[in-house]
Amino acid sequence: MVMTTHEEKMRTVRFRVGATPHIVVNSEICRNDCSVHACVYVCPANLFVPLDDGGILFNYEQCFECGTCYVACNQEGAIRWSYPDGGYGVTFRES
Amino acid sequence: MTTHPANQQFDVIVVGAGPAGSAAALLAARAGLKVLLLERGEYPGAKNASGAVFYGSAILNELIPNWWEQAPVERHICRRDIAFMSPTTAVALDFRSAGVGFATAPYNGFTVLRPKFDRWLAAQAEAAGAFVLTSAVVDDVLREKGHIVGVRVRREQGEIYGKVVIACDGVNSFLAKKAGLQREFHPHELSLGVKEVIGLDPAIIQDRFHLTDNDGIAFEYLGAITEDVHGGAFLYTNRDSLSLGVIGQVSSLVERRKRPYELLERFKAHPAVAPLVRGGKLREYSAHLIPESGWAMKPKLYTDGMLVAGDAAGFCLAAGLYLEGMNYAMQSGLAAAETAIFACQKNNFSARVLAAYQKNLKQRHVSTDFRAYRHAPSFVNGPRLQNLYPEMVARGMEQIFRVDGTPKRKILPLTYRMVRQSTIKPGQLLRDVYQVARAYLW
Amino acid sequence: MRIAVCLKYVPDPSTIEVDPLTGLIDAGRVLYMMNPADESALELALRLRPSNGTVTVFSVGPVEADRLLQDALAAGADAALRVWDDSLGSLKPIVTTMLLAAALRVKELPDLVLCGGHSVDRGSGTVPALLAEHLDWPVATDVTQFELRSGRMRVQRRLARGARAESEVTLPAILGLESGLVHLRQASLPNLMRVKHTPIPLYGLEELGLSPQDLHFPAMTLHEVMPPRPRTRVMFTPDIHGSVQERVAQIMSAGVAGKTGKILESGTPEQQADAIIAFLRQRGFLEQPT
Repeated sequence: MVMTTHEEKMRTVRFRVGATPHIVVNSEICRNDCSVHACVYVCPANLFVPLDDGGILFNYEQCFECGTCYVACNQEGAIRWSYPDGGYGVTFRES
Repeated sequence: MTTHPANQQFDVIVVGAGPAGSAAALLAARAGLKVLLLERGEYPGAKNASGAVFYGSAILNELIPNWWEQAPVERHICRRDIAFMSPTTAVALDFRSAGVGFATAPYNGFTVLRPKFDRWLAAQAEAAGAFVLTSAVVDDVLREKGHIVGVRVRREQGEIYGKVVIACDGVNSFLAKKAGLQREFHPHELSLGVKEVIGLDPAIIQDRFHLTDNDGIAFEYLGAITEDVHGGAFLYTNRDSLSLGVIGQVSSLVERRKRPYELLERFKAHPAVAPLVRGGKLREYSAHLIPESGWAMKPKLYTDGMLVAGDAAGFCLAAGLYLEGMNYAMQSGLAAAETAIFACQKNNFSARVLAAYQKNLKQRHVSTDFRAYRHAPSFVNGPRLQNLYPEMVARGMEQIFRVDGTPKRKILPLTYRMVRQSTIKPGQLLRDVYQVARAYLW
Repeated sequence: MRIAVCLKYVPDPSTIEVDPLTGLIDAGRVLYMMNPADESALELALRLRPSNGTVTVFSVGPVEADRLLQDALAAGADAALRVWDDSLGSLKPIVTTMLLAAALRVKELPDLVLCGGHSVDRGSGTVPALLAEHLDWPVATDVTQFELRSGRMRVQRRLARGARAESEVTLPAILGLESGLVHLRQASLPNLMRVKHTPIPLYGLEELGLSPQDLHFPAMTLHEVMPPRPRTRVMFTPDIHGSVQERVAQIMSAGVAGKTGKILESGTPEQQADAIIAFLRQRGFLEQPT
């Protein structure tokens, strides 16, 4: 199977999920100050979900820790970004 | 300098066990220094993804003779293919060499799988005497009187001291930022790579790509493959799998509202690519940022008590013909280690002494290469080279080869007509020719 | 108080990929981890440990399991012991527990043994009970909470369909803990560095005073693998004697009534075991004696 859905892609990746989120999105800022919501498009793991009220919901569990959302976000303070605790998060096996 | 308990005091602390960090730790440990190599992943390589072709065989050969005989390498690259794409056609520049250094030892480049290769390289540093500690994420540097004297690991009693800190913590380099050496990045300076490793029987790979034994091929693609997003794509042969992916400039992904993994699917469906991947099975999907702007995003490379190397220093050459990072990571890591060894001899870790790093980088051809190609990244990532020219070349070839009963045109009038029909102005074309020449010829 | 915790190094289920054609697991892609229920057990042991107490961790497994035991030491366990012998291969729980019991006897027996109730790989959930059999100790399985009160352990157990039971056991005892109760604490940096090169004592059969014969159990032979064959179902029909209301209610619930098990309250343990075996024979789960 060469052509794959995003879900099928994500199933091939191993994540060791930490107890606390390493990335926190301030949905207030997304709702009030941002009309671009770049994070929704650029995230390779598709973790940013636009909400009806204009806010953003973020799921940290399947994060690649690539930093793209942080670089793409044009709103100061909307994304608080750090790496997961040592040993947690994504673990590539073959990439 | 304050003294700390012996078990918490190192000569060199290297942050990040990628090619830069492990090379630095290896060299410093061999020089007899007390080296700590910190890695935030479960094992070295767990967080690392790139193409990946490693073009630094000769560099590593200096450290570990005939390293490829013991390292987890996939195939050595003796054929490279750069293709200009339109939505339905491809024009390729095909380079093959059975010559010395390409198909024979020490070889020019190898495809590798980073979690395996990086893990092996870190083990070499460990064998040389470095203390390799995994599951250790570094949050900040420690300072005393303005000098950097260590790092803080995100664990209880996480302060650890070293005379020199070498930050090899990758493209996002929080450490260089914490040390005030790097600014925040702009979305146009970085590209996002998304990648798949697709399993395929070795016999099929050999047949399909006309390879013998452990020969390998590297395909790189420009043009319509990433639609109107600035970027490119690649496909490399491994032993029993293919590594393929799409690279897109972050600002351009944002502007075009394109999802990277959808571009990846379109790439695989392109008529020039689909037959190459047919019958394969997805083994792993991954994503990583690439510091594509090279010289333009280089941080200040040293300060009192600290050096920056690898992707953290932006040492990644993404300039059309060249897509190289691991070799520069290693070279800069080695240059940083040489600097740390020098500083230990002098017993002086101030910026004034660590400034020797610049000279060492030049000797290892890192800064000279990046300076020489400093104009290439911005040009390569420009809209015309990204989308217009590759497609023009591809369409032009289509017209040259098409036989449909209309009179054949010679190439020059054909080119003239294509330029006239496109949005490009002749003056711009000339300027671009000059830019290509400036970027690559002199 | 001396607490022992049994740990198992297991493959992370999310990394197990089975080739649909051959049914074989792609060994090159499997990553190992501490069994989650065991991780909870270790954390709870560390929390329970009084200032003069000790936590010792045990594991039966090849040399790779040293990593697991080092992680446990880094998190705060006082001592670790690994059991392995090159003659051992894939182990049945009965053999694992014999080895564990022997290992627990190497030093003075502990006051409390905590086990993860189920492993994510084999998952038979039999280790706590089998260990109790070998040590002749009381055991409480499916434990979700426990509390030490003047030498007696008060436990809450999970029963079927959301029910909970509370009971008490006297120490020494074995508790089989549910998975996911708590996360294991992050080790401090000095601890993590200290254990990196800590050798883990290894006990083979000889050191445990066991011979290969002791571990020999009648081999189970696999004759054939068949898909489960459901028992014939009786189609539900409402009771015609009931009122309209009752019949409608019966139809709406599709005849589902809570399954009632039979609780064996009387008799000696041997008699109760015989009753269970008779039941399994009657339902065809066990072969009739020949």
